Amino acid sequence: MVEVLFIGLSLSSILLLIALGLAITYGAMGVINMAHGDMVMIGAYVTVMSKIWLGLDFYFAIPLAFIVTALIGLLIERIVIRRLYGRLLDTLLATWGISILLQQAVRLELGLSFFGLHIEGLGPGLQKVDVPEFLRGTISFGDTELNGYRMFIILVTIALTFVTWFLLYRTAFGVQVRAIIRNPEMAAASGIDVKRVNSLTFAFGSGLAGVAGVMMSGFKTVFPDMGATLVVDGFMVVVAGGVGSIYGTILSSGLLGEINALVALASNDIIARAVVFAVVILVIILKPKGLFSFKER
Amino acid sequence: MGLERKIQLGAYALFIVALFLVPEFSDEFWLNRASKYLVYGMLGVSIALTWGYAGVLSLGQGLFFGIGAYMLAMSLKLASPTSLAQGSDRPIPDFMLWNAEPDAPVELCCITPGSYLWLPFESVSFGMLMGVLLPAVVAGILGTIVFKKRISGVFISIITLALVLLVRLVVIDLQPLTNGFNGLTDLAFLTIAGFEFDPYSRSTYYLCAASLALVLIAARLLADTRASLILQAIRDDQQRARHLGFNVPMYQTFFFVVSAAIAGYAGMLFVVASEFASPTFMDLSFSVAMVVWAAVGGRSSLLGACIGAIAINWIEAEVSETAALVEAWKAIIGLIFVLVVLFLPRGLGGVAHDLAARLARRQSRKAAAAGTAGAEVKRHA
Repeated sequence: MVEVLFIGLSLSSILLLIALGLAITYGAMGVINMAHGDMVMIGAYVTVMSKIWLGLDFYFAIPLAFIVTALIGLLIERIVIRRLYGRLLDTLLATWGISILLQQAVRLELGLSFFGLHIEGLGPGLQKVDVPEFLRGTISFGDTELNGYRMFIILVTIALTFVTWFLLYRTAFGVQVRAIIRNPEMAAASGIDVKRVNSLTFAFGSGLAGVAGVMMSGFKTVFPDMGATLVVDGFMVVVAGGVGSIYGTILSSGLLGEINALVALASNDIIARAVVFAVVILVIILKPKGLFSFKER
Repeated sequence: MGLERKIQLGAYALFIVALFLVPEFSDEFWLNRASKYLVYGMLGVSIALTWGYAGVLSLGQGLFFGIGAYMLAMSLKLASPTSLAQGSDRPIPDFMLWNAEPDAPVELCCITPGSYLWLPFESVSFGMLMGVLLPAVVAGILGTIVFKKRISGVFISIITLALVLLVRLVVIDLQPLTNGFNGLTDLAFLTIAGFEFDPYSRSTYYLCAASLALVLIAARLLADTRASLILQAIRDDQQRARHLGFNVPMYQTFFFVVSAAIAGYAGMLFVVASEFASPTFMDLSFSVAMVVWAAVGGRSSLLGACIGAIAINWIEAEVSETAALVEAWKAIIGLIFVLVVLFLPRGLGGVAHDLAARLARRQSRKAAAAGTAGAEVKRHA
């Protein structure tokens, strides 16, 4: 039983890493970023490539993936999303287009081989990442054996959640972000440079997704379309938890991850995912504001 | 009738005439593909109806399409020769035997758990009826709950999205009942009153063309009703419509149901043309693709969304056969889509609409100018 709860906790951790970024961009900026899953994908590819091209160790991929995806996120915000503020459903559509573009860019061997220009890449095939020796074994507590890599994921998630919390609740930047979450017009009227804060927030959210990608690459195969299902899972977590509430996102990722693990134990993985969707539908119908939302001001 | 209205009607008439002229210029293989594009066009109409007129963006339209497809496919599966050749005097789908327990009786009633659900589908009329009815009922229940609860905007998108993915997983998991991932293949041709619709013949194309014409005209008429005006009022300001005393959930649910029924109908036609039904109909990407077609064509223009769907799929097929662009095609579609959302938020239909409106204005100005000139001449004379 402890093992199952532990697996559930590691699933929750991945969900949380994906959902945190979405919670911030959706909550703060009113942007539904369908390309968020592709940031996870790019993070995973950074892990693969940094090993092949730079010979870097798994651990170094974490900051690298954060930087790469944050920069891509910044670029997307500047070029496309900036023009779409206040048009929620349009952001969904435009970022879906971006998502296809990113996936195709990776599938085309990270290059434009169709214009005669060719950059050597990995192609559309499946990729695998080797986890460092240190994380491969199990850690035993009494008579329960816990997988070391899953433990690592949980620790990284806790650390990043703490960093996010610290940024949001203990820095001047965080005060500005939270002001924008509550009321963007008032925030702008109070002298906050909403555009700049939004850019940075978006970049940070994308960076978190990149790190989630590094974590994913350790125990799932890496391929160009891997982000499509992840972004859906992330949204389910954010919506169920309550839009704009970081605590809600944390709690609901814990809830959905554990439900997934427990149902998977009782039946199978497919039914487990189906049950998670059913729970989310029920939550939206019964509590449209989410399980843990704050009152609007 | 204003000129703008005349242009609109002319466009509909032209499109429908063109639909029926296509077989004169193409072979049977191409006609089969064209029938599928017409089915996609129908999906475009169904999206435009909920999205453009009701302001409800359903990301789960594939659910209704999938239900429609499976309902008819179940009937056609039972009607196929292989189902009759399974060693029982009444038809049994071949995959059920592969999935059955060794000692299960070879009867549709009890060969696999739940296989009795297939029994009524021995009648193709029942399958055809359910193909429209079941999507409508599901949409009715969902719509009643969602709209009564005043759930709106992106939350409806997420609910419909979660629902389509949920049903997709259940269909995949119920392997003994649905053949799981593989879907239903090896189907009989649809036969209505002794007439057989061979997918690679003109008859199937004409069936799709007539259906699309019918759906387009019906949707157009529906869009001109008072109910549609009220619906648009609700879309623009729900609170105000409610305070004016309109039964908001009823109007929204009604249009949602109509749109679902159209999608279910499209699903059935797709099965006739493509001879299979599979869980991929309920993939996330397919449901979003429909929205993309409608957005490019014009989300609030029924004809625009329809043409958008047909055009994108047609171009996609053509381009994917051009060696240089095979890989790049999807990236191009992604790029087009971003550009359309950024610069043409109302799609090509919106552009056409503006052109028609400008033409009409110029015409009326000219008429007015001619009128005053005439008066001038008269006074001088």
